[in-house]
Amino acid sequence: MPTIEIDYEDFRSLLGIDLPRDPEKLDDILSYVKGEVKLLEDNELHIELQDTNRPDVWCVEGLARALKGFLNIEKAPKNYSIKGSSGVDVSVDPELKGIRPYIACAVVKGVQISDAVIREIMRHQDKLDQTYGRQRKRTSIGLYDFDLITPPLRYGVAKPREVRFIPLEFEEELTLEEILKEHPKGIEYGHIVRTYPVWPILMDSKNKVLSFPPIINSNDLGRITENTENVLIEVTGTAHETVLNTLTMITLSLADRGGTIYSAKIHYPYGRVKETETPNLKTETLKIDMEYIKSVLGMDLSLQEIKDLLERARFGVLNIKETEVTVEVPCYRVDVMHPADVVEEIGIAYNYNKVPPRWPQLPTIGGTALEEKLRNVIREVMVGLGFQEVLSFTMSNPDNLFAKMNIKPERSVEVVNPKILSFTCMRSWLLPSLMEFLSRNTHVEYPQRIFEVGYCVTFDDKRENKTRDVDKLACVTIQSNANFTEMKAVLDGVLLNLGVQYKLEETKHGSFIEGRVGEIIINKARVGIIGEIHPKVLENWKLENPAAAFEIDVDKLREVARHRIK
Amino acid sequence: MSELRENEQKTMIALRDAGGRESVEKIVESTGLAHAAVMRAVLSLSTKNLVKAHERKRTWITLNDEGKEYARNGLPERRLIKALIKLSGEAPIDTVVGEASLDKSLSVIALGWSARKGWARVERETRRMKLLTEPSEGPDERFLTILSSQGSLILEELGKELQEAFSLLKRRKIIEVDEKTLRELELTEYGWELIKRGLRVVKEVSQLTPELILTGRWRKIKIRRYNIKAPVARMWPGKKHPYLMFLDEVKEKLVAFGFKEMTGPIVELSFFNCDGLYMPQDHPAREIHDMYFIKSPAYGDLSSYEEFLNNVKKTHQDGWKTGSKGWGYRFSRREARRLVLRSQTTPVSARTLISKELEIPGMYFSIARCYRPDVVDKIHLTEFNQIEGIVVAEGLTLRDLLGVLEKFALEIADADKVKFKPGYFPFTEPSVELHAYKDGYGWMECGGSGIFRPEVTLPLGVNVPVLAWGLGVDRLFMMKTGIDDIRYLFTQDLDWLRRMEMI
Repeated sequence: MPTIEIDYEDFRSLLGIDLPRDPEKLDDILSYVKGEVKLLEDNELHIELQDTNRPDVWCVEGLARALKGFLNIEKAPKNYSIKGSSGVDVSVDPELKGIRPYIACAVVKGVQISDAVIREIMRHQDKLDQTYGRQRKRTSIGLYDFDLITPPLRYGVAKPREVRFIPLEFEEELTLEEILKEHPKGIEYGHIVRTYPVWPILMDSKNKVLSFPPIINSNDLGRITENTENVLIEVTGTAHETVLNTLTMITLSLADRGGTIYSAKIHYPYGRVKETETPNLKTETLKIDMEYIKSVLGMDLSLQEIKDLLERARFGVLNIKETEVTVEVPCYRVDVMHPADVVEEIGIAYNYNKVPPRWPQLPTIGGTALEEKLRNVIREVMVGLGFQEVLSFTMSNPDNLFAKMNIKPERSVEVVNPKILSFTCMRSWLLPSLMEFLSRNTHVEYPQRIFEVGYCVTFDDKRENKTRDVDKLACVTIQSNANFTEMKAVLDGVLLNLGVQYKLEETKHGSFIEGRVGEIIINKARVGIIGEIHPKVLENWKLENPAAAFEIDVDKLREVARHRIK
Repeated sequence: MSELRENEQKTMIALRDAGGRESVEKIVESTGLAHAAVMRAVLSLSTKNLVKAHERKRTWITLNDEGKEYARNGLPERRLIKALIKLSGEAPIDTVVGEASLDKSLSVIALGWSARKGWARVERETRRMKLLTEPSEGPDERFLTILSSQGSLILEELGKELQEAFSLLKRRKIIEVDEKTLRELELTEYGWELIKRGLRVVKEVSQLTPELILTGRWRKIKIRRYNIKAPVARMWPGKKHPYLMFLDEVKEKLVAFGFKEMTGPIVELSFFNCDGLYMPQDHPAREIHDMYFIKSPAYGDLSSYEEFLNNVKKTHQDGWKTGSKGWGYRFSRREARRLVLRSQTTPVSARTLISKELEIPGMYFSIARCYRPDVVDKIHLTEFNQIEGIVVAEGLTLRDLLGVLEKFALEIADADKVKFKPGYFPFTEPSVELHAYKDGYGWMECGGSGIFRPEVTLPLGVNVPVLAWGLGVDRLFMMKTGIDDIRYLFTQDLDWLRRMEMI
């Protein structure tokens, strides 16, 4: 979820109303755009926006634009138009095709720029680069003082050492290669281009470098100051639609600051469209069935109500009749891909809290999953036997699962991207979780008797997810005279209550004392293990009392007891 | 008059036999009861005003080893004087000491005391000793003799002269002193009266035994009264985990509402965790920071979902026949096979929608462990439980969605007031957040929900509206139990679990 940082005073003045400072009241207003106040200190306002698909509200201008509608200050879409051509032509080099193929430009003239406005623009640009532009990989934005540039522009390529220019915030010329090594932005974003033999470069007709997309602008041309009146905006990227949308977002923000929009012409050597004019501020029309609106909202709204609500959500209503409404979708509403997106906005403008809730009376019969029943019976019996139920994480690590348990490491279901060393794989058996629990409670009164019914994960190549969740029961008793006999009595008590016949067979297992460990056999199948914990294992977990334990596969018990579970 | 217990009666009788007043020690001796048992009896008897307990301080005096030596051989100064007399009343010091066979340390003491008591004098120049008087036995020597013969004396019972002798000898560090509180018991007038009326000893037992029951002897005996207010050793019953108990309760309510439980795997195909839920393949939540990926095998098998996979692919690319524009990118079938640890419960819902056993109308819920690569702290866990569900039926609308949420807030979250806010999930539109108000807690977000987008339901073969909801059970549990650290859901603190109240 993007969090944006804006200037409260700027926000208030753009909205033109007496904006409350009380976070709860502010939240109520922001909820129209799914926003929530995260911080408000002096003029610093941080807002978390839930919708990951609405870059138009990730800036103070866009927020004000959307909220003016819901607050009944302005209705229907704001009309943004292109005043004319800026005279900027951009030619694209064929070699960019596999690198960073798309570019879009616009010129906004007569922008009223103050220090505060520059700050807002920079924050907006960065938010778009990070979120919508996927850390500049998908799109990145450059802003320039238009008056310093001599069109036409060339979006081309250069070898790493071929071109030199002074990057933003630096004082001397660097080659592109040096920028990747030395400039903070080069270090941060260099990985996007590094693997290519040639790198993107944007130059004007005098061969002056505008920028090295998506890394850094030129310090000479790519710097916006209070004296800048006319701004050239450029967006490059790998997805054409996203490049155009990003350009729209930035262009409209500058237009909201009093600017007038002029277009540029892009000439592509590849693709279907060889020549295109940007920005594209065309609105779209969407026909929505009135029946559909009713079927989603569950309310009978009059035509006038629907029209009013749509306009408060800043959609245009081109035509409305009993069967259908034709909606004008503004160019910046890139999130609208289905009528459902528009219908939701009708609901939001209406206010969810005014919609009468209704419990759907459906003839269904509730019930728990079959596997839950056996789990619950086992838990009841274990509790009855005096064991405390514990709940542990299903993620673990080989040290806990194998080394500390004094057994050879086995293959476990590992994750590629562990966040911490203690959670690198799924547990393959349950007992280590209980041993870890005991090791954290050596200061607590003994005897301690604990159990857990929980999932372990093992490999199963025949299944679509290549693994199987195994439901297991494990329990441990630890006290000064804990032994095999105590544990066998517990096992006996559990299985007796499930109506299951079992046998024990002698076995060897590193976690248990030899001669005091057995495999639990039910219907010739090995379903678990029982024994006295090996002193080596106790030592590994820093335990000073003898312990005995068993672990049993509940899924296998379920197969045996199936006829009993209805 | 209340009944007397066996030990109380014995104590009374022993006191009567001793003439009405006796020390506790003697009573212990004569009754054969334990000291503590007599003291318990006395406590009870004195509250009934039958016996009065007197306390007196007594100082017991005994000789230490040095004192015993003095008692055997006489005080050192007496030994010295005896030798001097034997040497005709005058002799050099060394001769006298030699005659008295005193060792060096005692000779210093002897010289000092004989001078102090005025028995002899030492001439400095000649170092000769002269007898001044033939001393008779002093009170200190008498005391020493008495104490030695008796073994111990009680200071408070000595005469004035002996008391003075005691303080003299005490200074010479040859006496041990032990102060004791002596308890004496005395029958009160009322106690005498009761005894005159006649006391009868009834046998008391502390534990009823099978033998007493079988033989019927229980009729003849008396079962000793207990002090029922005395503290006992604490017992720790076997208990279910408080958080799992809470989940069981929630589950019970959902079943009562008509929801059926559904299940799904922990290791999930991206297809169910993401693609089928209309999350584009480059969605930020699908990145390495937000989802655990399985190392090996990294990919699963989607061959049994070929038709659904194609529908989902087309929907992502251009909207297919859902009425949507789609996300407009090239869908990777391979990416859909990528194995992840389930990052949300919604894939379980997706599996239910795709299942041949889906009932329409139907209401389903699932409690599932979910995984996200978060650093564990007060508000984040890398593993957590989610409760989610769906309602599938013709004609469901936003009103029904709000109805379901309202029911949950009032019945499960025990809320006083409910508020709905617009929310966002990639797979629902409209989406609603549930906020519940509870006195003492204020407003709290406790769930999210929405109507599944047509881009989700149609490719999975469902043509009716599907309401999807999720409950923030972690928060509800924390609110209920007053814990503010989410790590306590998976606590390894046995003491906390043992002490956690069940209701």
